[in-house]
Amino acid sequence: MNTLLRALLPIGLLALTTPAWAHSPIMGIGGVFGGMLHALLIPEHGLSLLALGIALGLERPAASRSGMLIFVAALVAGLAVTAFIAEPALAADVLLAATGVLGLLIAAAWVPPVVAWPLAATAGVAFALDSRPEVTATDEIIRMLIGTGIGAAIALAIVAVGSTFLQGNVARIVLRVLGSWVAAIAILDLSLRIATRLATGS
Amino acid sequence: MAPAALFDLKRMVSRSLCCLLPVAAALITSSPAFAHSENGAAIDFAGGFTHPIFGPDHVIAMVAVGLWGAFLGMPAIWLLPVVFPLVMAVAGALGVLGVPLPGVEIGIALSAIALGGMVAFAARPPLWIAAVLVGAFAIFHGHAHGTELPVGADAIAYSMGFVIATGMLHVSGIAFGALSRWPAGRVAVRTAGAVIAVIGFAYLVRVI
Repeated sequence: MNTLLRALLPIGLLALTTPAWAHSPIMGIGGVFGGMLHALLIPEHGLSLLALGIALGLERPAASRSGMLIFVAALVAGLAVTAFIAEPALAADVLLAATGVLGLLIAAAWVPPVVAWPLAATAGVAFALDSRPEVTATDEIIRMLIGTGIGAAIALAIVAVGSTFLQGNVARIVLRVLGSWVAAIAILDLSLRIATRLATGS
Repeated sequence: MAPAALFDLKRMVSRSLCCLLPVAAALITSSPAFAHSENGAAIDFAGGFTHPIFGPDHVIAMVAVGLWGAFLGMPAIWLLPVVFPLVMAVAGALGVLGVPLPGVEIGIALSAIALGGMVAFAARPPLWIAAVLVGAFAIFHGHAHGTELPVGADAIAYSMGFVIATGMLHVSGIAFGALSRWPAGRVAVRTAGAVIAVIGFAYLVRVI
């Protein structure tokens, strides 16, 4: 039962996610801590970390560590670029596409490193490019991006390590169901974004 | 099938039909479908969560998927509820993007008839056939919802609410379907399948 509760915890957290804090600055909280919250409170980002963490948790320990390192490396490179460019419009779409594929892999319980690692790299870069804070001061942007990197890396590690403890049959089934939900959410979200862009001409 | 079991099944179905025909008649004569109409509804998590729940045709099909999965046992009990949201999301995306699909409402009504009938008659096809059947019907449900998803919504929150509500409906069907491990529960589950099939038939009559 404890295993089941642990497996249900991510679903509960997913259900409790608050809507649409995407890219709105958190009043009164800035700097590194603000960046950490910025990374975790954007639903698309939280969903991608959840999917990637579970996917890496399903791999062997060595492959899982390599996947995490690839994500962090891509994230750092992307954050370095993000500090100096405007936020690319398609970064969130790419992140959602990667999340959707990761969800499908989790649902299929088939996460080979040769597929997971490129997805980790893609997610890392897209996550970073979609994380530019809406502040104007350069030093504040850099502080918040550092916080974003730290927050994303810690969150990914927690999910990946936590999912390795979900070993029972029931837990595995819950993970597969969760993967299908993540994929479905990503597909619907992506299509709504595209439709909204087409409707508004932006 | 043994004659006694066949007799029990016939008696169960005939009793179910006697009880359900008035319900079907009431449904046929009721006002036009409120299913899938959500004009002016919220477009956040709550809006997405309530969207599938307020469509009774959607609700009975979701519950039927869970019922049938529980009735079939492992691995169908989790495989069918995994297949459904995935296919539904892809079809929903097509609906959101305006790709047409003919006969959506008829397909939705048929899904309730077929899935409810599978439960009522305790059908046990090979797993892949069950998955294909559920996936095929998910196309109609997904497309119907996709065409009605509000453009400009808080997409991620709406999608989360929508998918989680759909999953919860599956879970409720599985929970009820778990009764089938007891003889009396088995009758109750099959009766529920018959109820779903009859309601689906009522929808079919209305949309034709």
